Amino acid sequence: MKDPSIYIIAEQKRDCIAQETYELVSFVRLIGKGKNPVFLLPGNNTERSAREISQKTGCDTVALTGNHLEHYNSLSYAHALMEVLAKEAEAWICLSHTSMGYDLAPRLAVLLDAACITGVESVIDGSLSRPIYSGRFREEIVPKTSRVVVTVLPGAFRPCQETPDSAGSVRVMKTPFRETPSQTLGASGPVHTDSTLKDAEVIVSAGRGVGKRENLFLLSRLAAFFPRSAIGASRSVCDLGWLGHKHQIGTTGQSVSPKLYMACGISGAFQHVSGIRGAQTIVAINTDPQAAIFQVAHYCILEDITTFLPLLIEELSAKTEDLHENPL
Amino acid sequence: MNCLMKILVCIKQVPDSSEILQVDERTGRLAFPPNAAFRMNRFDEFALEEALLIKEKLSGTFVHALSLGPERVSDTLERALGMGADHAIHILYPCEGYVSPFTVASLVAACVRPRKYDLIMTGVMAEDTSACQTGQIMACLLDLPCATSVIKEEIRPERGEILVQREIEGGSRQTVRIDMPSLLTIQPGINLPRYPSFSKVMRARTYAQELISARNLPAVEIREIRTGLRIPRPASQGVLIEGSPREKARKLINILHEKSLLT
Repeated sequence: MKDPSIYIIAEQKRDCIAQETYELVSFVRLIGKGKNPVFLLPGNNTERSAREISQKTGCDTVALTGNHLEHYNSLSYAHALMEVLAKEAEAWICLSHTSMGYDLAPRLAVLLDAACITGVESVIDGSLSRPIYSGRFREEIVPKTSRVVVTVLPGAFRPCQETPDSAGSVRVMKTPFRETPSQTLGASGPVHTDSTLKDAEVIVSAGRGVGKRENLFLLSRLAAFFPRSAIGASRSVCDLGWLGHKHQIGTTGQSVSPKLYMACGISGAFQHVSGIRGAQTIVAINTDPQAAIFQVAHYCILEDITTFLPLLIEELSAKTEDLHENPL
Repeated sequence: MNCLMKILVCIKQVPDSSEILQVDERTGRLAFPPNAAFRMNRFDEFALEEALLIKEKLSGTFVHALSLGPERVSDTLERALGMGADHAIHILYPCEGYVSPFTVASLVAACVRPRKYDLIMTGVMAEDTSACQTGQIMACLLDLPCATSVIKEEIRPERGEILVQREIEGGSRQTVRIDMPSLLTIQPGINLPRYPSFSKVMRARTYAQELISARNLPAVEIREIRTGLRIPRPASQGVLIEGSPREKARKLINILHEKSLLT
């Protein structure tokens, strides 16, 4: 049996190739049995970016172009990609699990009669492993179809590093415009911005495990012991209205890289963890020993926020008073 | 204005807390203890609330709630009725072991195709399996345009279209114009889902729910299987701080001092 073709659907962010696209190279090395992937890059005027991919990876790259591909749209992008993919009887089509990837992958899978496996984090003995229940468990999935569509969690694999001996070929393919019942009109920058989180050296961050809005004062009091500190939050805390969205850390919020990140009652779903990869030291406080946050934390404390934080604050106050009485 | 719009909201029932779940690594199945509590997927709560807000704004709108699963799913549909849905549809399906998003989407699509909804809404994903697939697959099977991660929508019934904002990476937004009928998957934070009063929930218990057996819908071919289910081992880098709560606090302070994180 011949090996299936492997395609990587490349993604652009502000006219550059997204780092996640290069992470997919490491993923396909694990499933590809040594076969080189082909990159497909849909967009408008993407020839230069396609060249960048072919030089960095040594892989053949097809720029699918057209004015109608200026902004991402699931229907027009799916039509364009199908120009290439429809002819493949056996193929793996790999995307990043981004707002484009998870939007597009299921549609491609239906059009290709393919299995669709999303949010993949690792490859174990040929099966695709993905976190479920906020990272508490991993399930392993094996496709049973000749065509397979996969999305891979951003940050789960390292971007490819090796410099290829020679660049891959670059082909520009103009794709025909088709009327679609939806059109993407444009994109705008973040609605909630605040540089406090970006500049903070210490972030004390709240998850649903904080219990109720009234307990947030414990986090503020803790943060007050550190200069240049800020309060962060998981998405669900912001959605509940306990804190404004400018505090939100994660995929749809801000990515932060403080010296110290204290996760208070945060379960550690992938969407949150992907925003704290730059943190130097992560302390996690949670009552649940299986919480996914403990898989990334450097220091793990199995306690309830309302028990532990008052004690921590008390001990910190005692220490500070000590220092005032016996200065070093 | 009066526009007679039919909205369907697809809802998943999920375990109330994943902390009580057990994994049998040998059989690769999740075990729900007998006292396990279930509730509405939070992402779907936002979708239902958004549908109810549309109904309040555009008179003549009907909101139907649909869920697929075993008998216990009717409790979650009851809650949907308590929140204000006009009708509940329960696709009876045993849901033991792995259920593919493709299977769910195919069954739901087959059920709702003849009903001609103007708008189908669901949460951007399910809290338990986080696949982000079912809505998009349904849309494709029903030949509907679809927008995911919708954080704002403006319905223009006179033009038969919706203007939506999708929330994308870093909190940026994308604006999409989309014809109706269509399918939207709703991003959390778009609204604050209402908490139905006790009397409304009690009254909802007396409403009949439409029951459809999945056996009467076209069978769906399996496209992928689950071969394993496991509890991840914590990364070796993490240090578990032990002792009484106060001892843990003191140890943590010492560590922060050593790392010069406290001055």
